[in-house]
Amino acid sequence: MNSDSQKSSISDKVLKQIEKDQVKMRPKIYFILKALLIMSGIFIIALFALYLVSFIVFALRASGAWYLSGFGFQGIRASIVLIPWLLIFVALLLIVTLEALVKRFSFSYRQPILYSVLGIIIFVFLGSFAICKTGLHPNLFQKAREGRLPVAEEFYRGYGMGKFHNVHRGVVSELRDNGFSIKTCRDEILLVIVTPETLFLFESNVEMHDMVIILGERDDHIIIALGVRKINDKIGLLPKKHMPPRLYK
Amino acid sequence: MSQPTNELTDEEIVSMIRSGETDSFGILVERYEAKMKRYARKFLFGYEDTEDLIQQVFVKAYVNIRSFDTTRKFSSWLYRIAHNEFINAIRKKKKEPLSFFDPDTLFPRLVAKENADKETKEQELSQAIDKCLNKVDPKYREPLVLYYFEELSYKEIANILHIPVSTVGIRMLRAKKILKSFCQKINYHL
Repeated sequence: MNSDSQKSSISDKVLKQIEKDQVKMRPKIYFILKALLIMSGIFIIALFALYLVSFIVFALRASGAWYLSGFGFQGIRASIVLIPWLLIFVALLLIVTLEALVKRFSFSYRQPILYSVLGIIIFVFLGSFAICKTGLHPNLFQKAREGRLPVAEEFYRGYGMGKFHNVHRGVVSELRDNGFSIKTCRDEILLVIVTPETLFLFESNVEMHDMVIILGERDDHIIIALGVRKINDKIGLLPKKHMPPRLYK
Repeated sequence: MSQPTNELTDEEIVSMIRSGETDSFGILVERYEAKMKRYARKFLFGYEDTEDLIQQVFVKAYVNIRSFDTTRKFSSWLYRIAHNEFINAIRKKKKEPLSFFDPDTLFPRLVAKENADKETKEQELSQAIDKCLNKVDPKYREPLVLYYFEELSYKEIANILHIPVSTVGIRMLRAKKILKSFCQKINYHL
């Protein structure tokens, strides 16, 4: 008898709580809203991750870090300084958060973490690649430079214009015997001195209106070039009215 | 004519509860009370308040019953609630180590299949498990309990613990190794 009463004790206690309305069933709408909240969270974080990773690619290209790998040790050193580490850290945090949210769904937790993380990374990279193709960031950067981007102006200017003294990007504005001049996105004219040690990462000669990346220490407005690379990139160009039309096509 | 309640499936009873027959929840409690008690007794060591924990499991099941997908198995859903409740209890007491991250879930692995020679070997094993279970970490103890005492399949265990089936296999293998070495220490032969 004692065992019988013990057996039913939990059942009785739970049913009593239900009868007295001490515990109530949560309505269906609660679970629908909760699921919607999680889905929206995933959607918003995924969008933000896409934006951020595409912005990192933009910042790498705009600052010149994207093009420095051929310049040997000096180039790698300059790249490390120019890489937006903070943004990369935030992007990684977003990927970890996405993984944690996606892990709530059975299609994800039934698989090893590697698969879902790889899936998220592939999604973020392909999406970012697509965003890079749209020209969203160069357009916003252009607006920021013209003072027409109120909220993100400093963000775009800070990351888009580069900050390392040894890497310079600009359009060839004058050819000289000992080198050439470039016009940077800050509207500065810099004289690039070419020496026998200067490494050229292209076949043809430097021509007027070429977009170039210069690796070399700057002294006032003069750069002794360690390396020169011609690039075909529309990011960080001068204001449209100053640019030769072919670079904007 | 309505079906006798003992012939109804768990999922049919859930549908009845959702449509207002809240008393039917008692049938589910009675069906699973003994199982939950055994699960708690084997998985939690040195916990005096297991009755309260089990009561809490059923209360949570009732509160969240509208989130249960009736196309799935009620038992797996209930075991999942119990698992969460027991893990929280272990974390609160801080008696045993429990990590938030399990490296075994990281990479794909070959599934260690459920043994074909189950019948003969596993009777001996469950005796050993009974003797030495408290010496195994909760991470390895739980799949052992669910497999040997609750008689759930690897797939069901994976659904309850929210881990891949291959990870269940890995944990079972490791748990058996730990048990074996401990049994050798106390001269209990497997």
